Amino acid sequence: MIALCAVLLLAAPADESKYPAPLKEFLAAKNKDGSPVLGDADRKALAALPDHTRDLLGAAAESVILGSAAHLKILLSLDLPPAALELVAQDNCILCHSDPGNQKGKTLFATDPPARKSNPLLNLKEFVSDVHFRRGLSCSGCHGGKPSDEMMTKDVYARWPKEDVRHSDRSWIPGFCANCHADSNFMRGFNPTLPTDQLAKYQTSQHGILLLQEKDSRAAQCVSCHGVHGIRNSRSRLSSVHVQRIPDTCGACHSDAKRMEGFRLADGTPLPTNQVAQYKESVHGKALLVKGDLGAPTCTGCHRSHAAMPPDCHSQYAKDNQQCAATAVSFRNALDTLVAGRAEITAPLERLAERGLDVEPLSRTASDLDEALVQTRSKVHTFDLSSFQAAAQPGNDAIAKGRELIAEERREARFRTRGLLAAIGFMSLIAAGIALKLREIGKRRIT
Amino acid sequence: MSAPTGGTHPEAKGLYPWLDRRYGITPLIEFLKHKEVPIGSHSMIWYYLGGITLFFFTIQLVSGVLLLAYYQAGESTSYESIRFITTKVPFGWLVRSMHCWSAHLMILSLVTHMLSTMVLKAYRPPRELTWITGFLLFAFALGFGFSGYLLPWNELAFFATAVGTDSMKAVPGIGEWLLQVMRGGTDVSINTLYRFFALHVVVLPLLTVGIVAFHLIFIQRQGMAAPMAHDKPGRGMKFFPDFALRDLLLWLVCLIALASLAVFLPYGPGIPGMEWELGKKANPLAPAYPGIKPEWYFLWVYQLLKEFPAHLFGMEGSQAAIALVSVLFAVWALVPWLDRDARSNRASPAFTDLAMAALVFLAYLTLKAWDIGGGEGPLPDVRAVARACAYWGLVVAAATVVFRFAMGSARFFDFTAAAALQIVLHGFLGVSYLAAGAIAVLLLAVSLGVRMLRSRNAARATVGGAPR
Amino acid sequence: MPPVGEKINRRSLLDVLLAIGVVGWLASVLFPVLRYLKPLGVQTQNGPIKLKGEELSKLEKDHSVIVRAGAARIVVFEDSTQQLRALSAKCTHEGCTVQYVPGESVIWCACHNGRFDLDGRVLAGPPPRTLEKYSCTRESDGSVVVQLGRGPEAA
Ligand code: FES
Repeated sequence: MIALCAVLLLAAPADESKYPAPLKEFLAAKNKDGSPVLGDADRKALAALPDHTRDLLGAAAESVILGSAAHLKILLSLDLPPAALELVAQDNCILCHSDPGNQKGKTLFATDPPARKSNPLLNLKEFVSDVHFRRGLSCSGCHGGKPSDEMMTKDVYARWPKEDVRHSDRSWIPGFCANCHADSNFMRGFNPTLPTDQLAKYQTSQHGILLLQEKDSRAAQCVSCHGVHGIRNSRSRLSSVHVQRIPDTCGACHSDAKRMEGFRLADGTPLPTNQVAQYKESVHGKALLVKGDLGAPTCTGCHRSHAAMPPDCHSQYAKDNQQCAATAVSFRNALDTLVAGRAEITAPLERLAERGLDVEPLSRTASDLDEALVQTRSKVHTFDLSSFQAAAQPGNDAIAKGRELIAEERREARFRTRGLLAAIGFMSLIAAGIALKLREIGKRRIT
Repeated sequence: MSAPTGGTHPEAKGLYPWLDRRYGITPLIEFLKHKEVPIGSHSMIWYYLGGITLFFFTIQLVSGVLLLAYYQAGESTSYESIRFITTKVPFGWLVRSMHCWSAHLMILSLVTHMLSTMVLKAYRPPRELTWITGFLLFAFALGFGFSGYLLPWNELAFFATAVGTDSMKAVPGIGEWLLQVMRGGTDVSINTLYRFFALHVVVLPLLTVGIVAFHLIFIQRQGMAAPMAHDKPGRGMKFFPDFALRDLLLWLVCLIALASLAVFLPYGPGIPGMEWELGKKANPLAPAYPGIKPEWYFLWVYQLLKEFPAHLFGMEGSQAAIALVSVLFAVWALVPWLDRDARSNRASPAFTDLAMAALVFLAYLTLKAWDIGGGEGPLPDVRAVARACAYWGLVVAAATVVFRFAMGSARFFDFTAAAALQIVLHGFLGVSYLAAGAIAVLLLAVSLGVRMLRSRNAARATVGGAPR
Repeated sequence: MPPVGEKINRRSLLDVLLAIGVVGWLASVLFPVLRYLKPLGVQTQNGPIKLKGEELSKLEKDHSVIVRAGAARIVVFEDSTQQLRALSAKCTHEGCTVQYVPGESVIWCACHNGRFDLDGRVLAGPPPRTLEKYSCTRESDGSVVVQLGRGPEAA
C-alpha cells in the first residue's frame, strides 16, 4: 500500500496549484450536499495524467465544451489511457455529446444509456473501446464533419441517406463500410493483415444477394454482426464475432422464428430456426462452448462469414447424392458401433475389479478404443471411406479384444467359484464324517 | 540317566516301538488319553476360541511364506510385486486375500478369546502366566497388523503408517528416538518398510511362535481352567478324540468361511479399516487426503487421539492420550492380580463388568471413528456422529447386559453404567468427550468407594458380633 | 441296536467318505499352492537380437561378449579370421557360462575344464554335447545381429 502511494507520488508530482485554471474550478465544485463533485479517486486519476493531457482538458473546459465538473468526472471514470483521453479532449463531437448538461435523452453518450434513457447504441464505455476509436477514427470518421467543429454542420448529414430512408433500407451500409475496408492501400496503414475483400464476398453471399439485389433489409449486413459503436477485434472475447459468441450472434436472427418467417430453403421448405440450439448440443458446440476449445468449428467454420453460403459440399455434391448419403450413414454407423462397444466393454469393469480379477488389460483396451474413437471422428471430414475405415479398424479390434478379455475374466470368475465349491464340498464331506464319528463315539460311551 | 524307553517291549518291531524306545512316546499318548476338558454350566464355545486363533495363525504362517515367494521389499518393487501377485501369479489373489482375511479374523477371534477368558475368570491362579503370555500374543498380533499394513507400499498404508508412528513421539523421554528408530529416519520412507518387513516376517513370527509354545505348554500342564461355579473335577470331556475332533470340525468351518470370503470379497468387506484394495502406489510427496484411517482394531486409539485437545494438564494432548492408553493396557495385563475375589475363588462380577465396560468403551470410540451418521460430505458433522454413535453404543451396552443376564452373572454394573453415562453425556447432552469421561469416572469412584465402605462395615459387624 | 455286520459296514463307509474328503481337500489345497509356486514361464525370445552399444564395444575390445536372449546366454565372438560367430554360452555339462579364449581359438568352460571348438563341438573334458550354434552377422551399418532359433549353419 505504502509502496503504491510512493509510486503514485513519484509518477505524478500532483501539484494541483499548477493545473489549468478551469480544472481548479472543477476541483472546487461542490455537490448539493456540500461534498466535492470530484472525489479522491478522480483527483488521483487527474493527478496521474501527463501535464499535456491536463492542458488539453483545460483547453476544452476553457471553450466550455467540457462543461462541468460532473462531465469531467464521467470522462475520468472511463479510465482511459492518456493517449485515448487526449483524443477525447480534442474531439468536440464526443465531448459535447457526452456532457449530460448539454445533451438530453437520445443524443447523449452515456456510460450507462438505459439509466440515462439514452439510445442503447450510444454507450460511451463501448465507444471508447471501439477498435476504430482506439486507432484514431472517431465520430467524424463515419458521420462526417470535423472534430474541431463547435457546432453541427451540414457535412455531418451529408454522407448517409436521409434519416427516413436509411433505417428502412439498409443496402447503403456495406458500401459505406467498404469505403475504407475495401481500400487495401488505406487499410494497410492500420492493419496490414486484414483482408479487404469482405464486400466482394458479401455480394456473393445469401445475405448480400438478399440485401443488395432483392433489397430485403431483413438480411444481415455489416453492423448486424459487428455492431456500431463498440466494434472490437474478433480476437476479443467481448466481440460479437468472437468464435465463442458467433453462435449467439447468428442466433439473434436465425433462432428468431418470426424474423425468419417467409425464408425458404432451395427445396421450398421453410428455413429452420433450431440450428443454434442443435449446434449447442452437438459435439462441436460442446467442444467450443463447454470445453472452451477455440479451434472447434463454429457457424462460420462451414457457412463462411462474409461469403455466407450454405456449405459448398452439401449444396453442390451431397444433395441427392446416393454415395454421399451412403458414406454418411456408414460413418454414423461405424461411430455408433464404436461408442456402443466402448460402453459394452467398460460396463463390467468395476464389477470384475471388485471380484479381484485382473482388469488392467481390459482398461488398457478401453483406452485403446478411446484413442481409436478420437482418430476415427477426426477422419469424418476427410469424407474418405477407406481412411475412415482404416482409423476405425483398431477400434473394432479393441472391441473384439475387450469382449474376449471379458469372456476370459468371466471364465476365470466361474472357475474360482467352482473351485471354491469343490473345496467346500470336500471339506463338508470331512466335516460330516467327523460329526458322524463324534456321534458314534458319544453313543458308544452311553452304552 | 538312561534314555526314555516308553512302554513297548525292547524287541518289538515297527516304527512306533522304534520311536517309543528312543523318545518315550507312550506316556505322552497316555497323557492325551486321559486329558480331559472340563464342562461347565456355560457354553463350551469359549474353549474353542484359542484353537481357532491358533488355526488362523497357522494360515497366516503358510500364506505368509507363500507370499514371500514373490514379494520383494523395495521402493520400486514392493507395490509392483504385490500387484504382480494379485494379477499375474496363478492363485496369487487367493493367497493374498486369504492372508488379509485371516489376519482380521485372527484378531477378532483373539479378542473374543481374551474377553471370554476375562468373563470366565480363567486367569485366576495358578494361570496368571497364561494370561500374561496371552496378553503378549495380543500385543504381537497388533504389531503384525501394524507392520504388515505398510508392506504393499500403497498410498493408504503410507499415510496410515505416518500417522500411526507419529503417535510414538508422545512417549515421554525417548519418544523422538523411538520414532526415528521405528521409521529408520525422521519420516516414513522405504527404510521404514525394510524395518517393518523384518519385524513382520522374522522378529514377530519367532517371538509369537515362542510365546505360543509357552502359552500351550502352560495350558497342557495346568489343564483348561474350569469355570468358577464348577471348580471340582467331575464330569469332563475327553480331550482326545472328543474335544480334538470338535476342534477339527470347527477349523473346517472356519476354513470354509475363510475361503468363501477370500473368493467372493477378495479385497475385504469394504468397511474402513477392513479393506485392502491396492489402490495407488505410495508417494511421499503426495498431499494427504481426508479419510485416512488405520485398521479397525486401532480405530479406538485413533479416535481417542482425536478426542484430546492440543494441550491438557501441561502435557501435549497426544501424550495424555498415549498415557491413558498405556494405563488401560497395564490394568488389563494386571487383571489376574487385581481381581482379589477371583484369586480367592469367589465370584467377581466386578471384573466381568469391567470387561463389558471395556467393550462398550471401545465400541463407542470405534463407531465414532467410522463417522457413522456423519452425512455425505467429505468432513463429517462431529455432533451428528457423536449422537448417532451414542445410540449404537447404548445398544452395545444393552446387549452386554442382556448377555450377562443370560450368563447368570448380572450383579455388578458400575463400570458399564459409567461407560454408558459417558456416552449419554457426550452423545446426547453435548458434553465434550473428555469432560463426560471425567464425570463418569468421578461417579464411578464414588460408587466404588461407597461399596468398599459398606463391605468393610459389614465385615466389621460380623467380626464385632462374633464373640457375642 | 443294529447287527454287528451292518455297523462295521457303516463304519467303513464312513471311513471311505472321510478318505475321499481328505484326499479331495488335500488336492484342492495343493493344486493352488503348486500352481502358485510354479514360476511363470519366461518369455522365450525367438526373433533376432541386436547387440547394444556397450556389448559392441566389449566385443571390439575383448573379441568376445556374453549377451542375454530371454533366459538364455549367448557368447558372441570374433575368430582369428575376423569372422563373427555365436554359440550358446551355457556349458552342456553343468551349465556354467563358457568363455572364448582368443589365443587358443577354443571355447573354454572353467568349471570342469571343458573345451569346445569354435563350432561348439566338444574337444575335451566332461561336457556331453555340442554347444548350440547361432548365425551371427555384421550388418552394413556396423551393428551385429544374432539370429535366434537354429542357425542355418547348425542344421
Ligand atoms: S560345467 Fe562346464 S565343464 Fe562342467
